[in-house]
Amino acid sequence: MNVRYFLVLFFLFPFLLQPAQADELIEGYTHEEVLRLGEQMYREGILPSGEPMEALVMGDIPFDGRMFTCDDCHQRSGLGSEEGTVITWPTNGKELFAPRRRTGAYRPPAAEEGEQGGRRELPEYYQVADVRPAYTDKSLARLLRVGIDPTGRRLDPIMPKYRLSSKNLAILTYYLKHLSSEMSPGVDDTTIHFATVIDTSVSDVRRSAMLSVLQAHIDAHNSLSRHEDKRAASGPFYKSEKHKAYRKLNLHIWELTGPSETWREQLEHYYDEQPVFALLGGIAEGSWKTIHSFSEDLKIPTIFPITDRPEISNSDWYTLYFSKGYYQEGESVAKYVRSQLGVSGDFRVVQLYSKNNPKAVEMSAGFDSTWQQMGGLTGQKLLFMQGDVVRENVWKEVFKDDTPVVLLFWVDDSDKDLYLRLEEYRNKVAMVFTSASILNNDFSSISDTLRTKILVTYPYSMPESETRSRFSVERWLKARKIPLTDFDIQAKMYFLGWMLPGAIKNMRSEFFRDYFLEGFDMMIDQDYSIAVYPRLTFGPGQRYASKGCYIVKLSSGTSPEMTPVNDWVTY
Amino acid sequence: MMKRKLPSIIGVWTLAFLFTFSSLSGVALAEGKSMYKKTLEDYQVPDVKLISQEGKEIELKSYLNSDKPIILDFIYGTCSTICPVLSVSFAHFQRKLGKDKDEVRLVSISIDPDNDTPELMKEHLQKYGAAEGWDAFTGKRENIIEVLKEFDSYVSNKMDHFPLTIMRGAGEEKWVRLYGLLSASDLLKEYEMLKK
Repeated sequence: MNVRYFLVLFFLFPFLLQPAQADELIEGYTHEEVLRLGEQMYREGILPSGEPMEALVMGDIPFDGRMFTCDDCHQRSGLGSEEGTVITWPTNGKELFAPRRRTGAYRPPAAEEGEQGGRRELPEYYQVADVRPAYTDKSLARLLRVGIDPTGRRLDPIMPKYRLSSKNLAILTYYLKHLSSEMSPGVDDTTIHFATVIDTSVSDVRRSAMLSVLQAHIDAHNSLSRHEDKRAASGPFYKSEKHKAYRKLNLHIWELTGPSETWREQLEHYYDEQPVFALLGGIAEGSWKTIHSFSEDLKIPTIFPITDRPEISNSDWYTLYFSKGYYQEGESVAKYVRSQLGVSGDFRVVQLYSKNNPKAVEMSAGFDSTWQQMGGLTGQKLLFMQGDVVRENVWKEVFKDDTPVVLLFWVDDSDKDLYLRLEEYRNKVAMVFTSASILNNDFSSISDTLRTKILVTYPYSMPESETRSRFSVERWLKARKIPLTDFDIQAKMYFLGWMLPGAIKNMRSEFFRDYFLEGFDMMIDQDYSIAVYPRLTFGPGQRYASKGCYIVKLSSGTSPEMTPVNDWVTY
Repeated sequence: MMKRKLPSIIGVWTLAFLFTFSSLSGVALAEGKSMYKKTLEDYQVPDVKLISQEGKEIELKSYLNSDKPIILDFIYGTCSTICPVLSVSFAHFQRKLGKDKDEVRLVSISIDPDNDTPELMKEHLQKYGAAEGWDAFTGKRENIIEVLKEFDSYVSNKMDHFPLTIMRGAGEEKWVRLYGLLSASDLLKEYEMLKK
């Protein structure tokens, strides 16, 4: 008998260890599967069957999940959004399954009543009734299917009414209960931990330019010049929620050494030592790919790293770059050629570059991808190794027939003869392009004669137009006794510091990484505080803030003037 | 006696006021149904060129001086709330018209031209299953701003934009401005009125 009792307990033991949430699970699915399927419904509008979700919006407009989804309005974090005249309420479990107070209404602290001070106990006439009670599974189902909330109110018809089976409804409900339910790592009651990643092969001047400005912003936030600590402790009740959100910022420095293949391990080690909420700035000499992947895999936002070699992706989420870097220069050439000649016609596209020059490789990739997307045929590529003599047969191949050539001359000035040879062939090209980045803004290898023909990509503000914003940055640096050493980097980090408080404030006390990133998505387009780009623009899911690149003609002389032949953004 | 009558008098006047207000401004009021404000406007289409989803330059004035009714809205590709609803509305409208969809010209103009390339505009149309007769334009930022200002729709921050459908009958001078999100039946009703 005892043995039998023991055996029953032995076999039941694993089941007894299952978490309580197992009761909530949908039949036949594990916790992870339900979350995956729920996320698929929420973000992609696709049911577990693979069919799109079906719904009605505005009362009588049918649509399906391929057109728009829950996270379009409620956002990936589920914390909602505000766009124009439409306010979308939070739909994450923490908010949905708790009573909703009026916005800004007094919310008693989560602690027990005994811990509340007299100041926090409001007179009855100040206390605001709940706008709605907590949702239950049943009332949420009613809302999603017929648009009526737990108080019996009919929601604005912009909230779709979904056709959902009980099982699919249960999956979505389960997902919402777990959406942004626990604060992201890297935040505690007093501090938000950030890190900045520094590739130690970066020069001291560039490293210091990035770090000094970033740290000055962090110090300014932590200086409590607005008495945030006091306000949080004793400010007026109607602002207590706002002030309680205040946290000091702690910037950790994560230095990466050795080959980039080892960086992932180093990053994970740093993260294990001290989880951070997000990565700010950062600088690397080569590709940002490893750091990008780390950020993407661990869902850690990275905001405005200093790199001209970002990872290019239409769907990755967690890194917000200033621009696509060298890739964007190639992209802009493709657009400019289309605007002048179309994508097909009596011309050939030829790209000439050294295959071991990473800048050139990125530029070529940017051109190819854009050109193909626009319907152009892949052009010819003639590659050589840097340092090798470009043989005569290469030039012959470029100009092998009488068809006019659009030549993308992604060549640096390590071999000045190449630009001299190009001058000889200048009358055989329909258009010829090079890059200011590849030449490090030194145009001395381009002769005055060649300048009548060659066009140069220039991915920054024109020097004469950046005076006002340049002055703002320089004055800010001077006030903080930071020497001006690398204006490009310092202006970019100045801008990051300009944007950061808005994104932090937007979060209130909802310290979720997705919500932090959504704060940047909702930012107004900027042309005032950024000195090195004409403007930076933002929007949900937009991950490259600079969208343009000038293409310029050079004047003759030792200090050539640049005259744009296009608008900042070319179509 | 007076005290008892007072609330009912106020109630009657309130109802009368609401009724008058809603009739004059063309606001459809009903629980759970769309509400929009309708006005007649004298917009002058600016003399600008925009870029179509095919990457072709379009002279907006001549495009809109069509022998077909025009219905236009302002959207952007990564818009999260208002634009998807405007766009499903256009898509459904085309489906409802069936063969008659060729009799009207729909156009969506981007308010985020830096990001909205012609290719993205084309993807946007494909995503909503747009049929022929619905175009999506982008263009130079200053041209877009000029168009927005002429149609009294400009906001300095695109996140502050508002739902708007603007239409004009063939050969008409006046534009009909519908402020607010429309239901399918609202849009069809307004279109039918445009044709009369």
